[in-house]
Amino acid sequence: MEGAPEAVSDATVRVRQLRKDFFDEARGEVHAVDGLDFECHRGEVFGLLGANGAGKTTTLRILSTVIRPTAGSASVMGHDVLEEPEAVRRSLGFYSASTALYPRLTGRETLQFFARVNRYPEPQVAARVDELVHRFGIGEYQDTRVEKLSSGMKQKVSMARTVAHDPPVLIFDEPTVGLDVMNALEMVRVVRELRDEGKTILFSSHIMSEVEKLCDRIGIIHRGRLLALGTLEDLRQETGKHYLEDVFVHYVTDAEGEGAVLGPMGAIRKDG
Amino acid sequence: MTPHLSTWAPTLDLRSTKILYQRELRSALRERSVVVNGILMPIFLYPLLLWGMFSALNFVQGLNDGVRSRVAFTGPPPEVHRALVDTILARQDVEAVDVGRADGGGIPGLVPMEAAIVGLQDGRIDAVVTFEMIPDGGSTLPDNVGITVRFDRTETRSAGARDRVEDAVASYRSGWIDQEVESLGMERAARTPFVIDSENVASGESVGTLLLGQMLSLFIVIMVALGCFIPSVDTTAGERERSTWETTLTVSAPRSSVIAAKYLSVATLGVVAGVLNVLALFLSMGAVVRPLMAESGDISFSLPLLSIPVMIAGACALALFFAAAMMLLASFARTFKDGQAMIQPVYWLVFLPVLLGNQTDRTLTPTIASIPVANVSMMIRDSINGVFLWPLIAQTLLVTLATVAVLLLVAQYILRFEDFLLGSFDGSFWRFVRARLSS
Repeated sequence: MEGAPEAVSDATVRVRQLRKDFFDEARGEVHAVDGLDFECHRGEVFGLLGANGAGKTTTLRILSTVIRPTAGSASVMGHDVLEEPEAVRRSLGFYSASTALYPRLTGRETLQFFARVNRYPEPQVAARVDELVHRFGIGEYQDTRVEKLSSGMKQKVSMARTVAHDPPVLIFDEPTVGLDVMNALEMVRVVRELRDEGKTILFSSHIMSEVEKLCDRIGIIHRGRLLALGTLEDLRQETGKHYLEDVFVHYVTDAEGEGAVLGPMGAIRKDG
Repeated sequence: MTPHLSTWAPTLDLRSTKILYQRELRSALRERSVVVNGILMPIFLYPLLLWGMFSALNFVQGLNDGVRSRVAFTGPPPEVHRALVDTILARQDVEAVDVGRADGGGIPGLVPMEAAIVGLQDGRIDAVVTFEMIPDGGSTLPDNVGITVRFDRTETRSAGARDRVEDAVASYRSGWIDQEVESLGMERAARTPFVIDSENVASGESVGTLLLGQMLSLFIVIMVALGCFIPSVDTTAGERERSTWETTLTVSAPRSSVIAAKYLSVATLGVVAGVLNVLALFLSMGAVVRPLMAESGDISFSLPLLSIPVMIAGACALALFFAAAMMLLASFARTFKDGQAMIQPVYWLVFLPVLLGNQTDRTLTPTIASIPVANVSMMIRDSINGVFLWPLIAQTLLVTLATVAVLLLVAQYILRFEDFLLGSFDGSFWRFVRARLSS
């Protein structure tokens, strides 16, 4: 687990004892995030691996200041999510299934909007948009409204808009959900490229193969708690398992205690 | 358990607000229903509506004028008044109808009473004229006769027949009285002890202006509400439905800028709808209604110049109010359709001015000036009629702006709740209020 003192840390993302509770009419009091600690650094892809409902999206929503933590702290590029939410959002690019594109804007207008509203230097916005159009190969349909684009085209515009203001930290929350193989591979390629440019990337997924291929460090999250954190090699050594899927099952069943069996998508059931 | 409050600092960044506002407007103006309701409807509605209305009225009038009234007689008239039947039937627009001949010495259209009533009920006869001798008691002239015209009030054609018969009878009656007066050796002037007449002192212009005031004050309210209706749902529930709500929340602008931009864009579209309505109505009045009115009467209208800024101020105040109220309610919806349903209470407010607007002798009072929507409607009507009660106009605008401020404070408070912000709260504004009050 992370434990470096803040003074000497070069972390771009820092999460300390993060907790998020909420009330659900059906389930009552829910601890969606329960004492999470981790840090991310420049030029790395940090994978948050967990089943549906493990607390990944809640953590990322706290980091993007959409919601606030019940306790603990989180910061991005040194900006606290509670104290400087605008500065945090300016340092972030957020990509997820719940952050769709504005359907009535064209691709170009979309990029201009996100660059400007996220305070990319105004005189350089046009040049930045041209660069993104070229980089993501959206020139042919840059003046077509998003609502008329195919899902693959939308994905490219969406990735471009996430990095429009050139933020140092990027969050990709389940980015390949609903994408076909080719588009998913394209996504992975872009994430690697961005990492190589020195961006910090927080990559959340429940797809093991993606995390295995892409992430420099992995945090396994279950019921809002971080069960393990390290490189894939670290986790393999600690568990004695080779495949990430087996590593994941090992940690989760261990956390649930003896007799726990991992069901579909990581859901735990107690046998016996 | 206390619901969780989201990050919210009521700070406004003008640059971000402007960028977000431009984005909201651009998106809204690319939505067909927004353009149709807010821009095209005002431009084309009035000319088409008014032209259609007058054309239809003229057409119906023409149809009625061309229709001959089918009249039957019961109880044959005394021989001395036989000419009355001839007078009625001499009209080009009246004809006798036979639905079962009665013995009447060759009077056309003379039928038994039962057959006449049945004919009136089943629509074969438009009016039945019945003659009844008045017993000579010394108080009436000799040969005096009572005439009853039976008709069906639910049928326009039957009511028209009644009018035509009454015209003919009145004409005959006048001639007969003159004749009797002369035979009694009296001066003709002596038969009319006094004359009753009425005179409308209202000029054609003031009548026209009154009508314009009633119509315009109501239409501006309706059209501003309509102008805000779709954009307010589109920018709240529509964003949730399209999954762009969270996209907007993750931009680096302050939340207050996001909300201000949304609110101002909806209000702008409401103002545009209101101003376009005023312009379209004037143009329609001049180009369509005035020529049509000139053909049929002496009604005209004029407008005090000062009423134009008052109307524009009224349209702006209404837009600010409707935008705030509609967005507040619609923001609880997860789908566009739900949003439309949740807005209905505000839309019903539109009809409040109708109740007050019908009282033509009423002007803005301190009480009316305290009722949102109705106050602005009355203020507009007064201004068209040349009545400018400045202290009450100021009260009207202040009350409206104060109401808007309260609505925005409520919106700001609600936005702090994460279940609302993320759309996980399932229910309307009213349910939310109940739930929070009880928690």
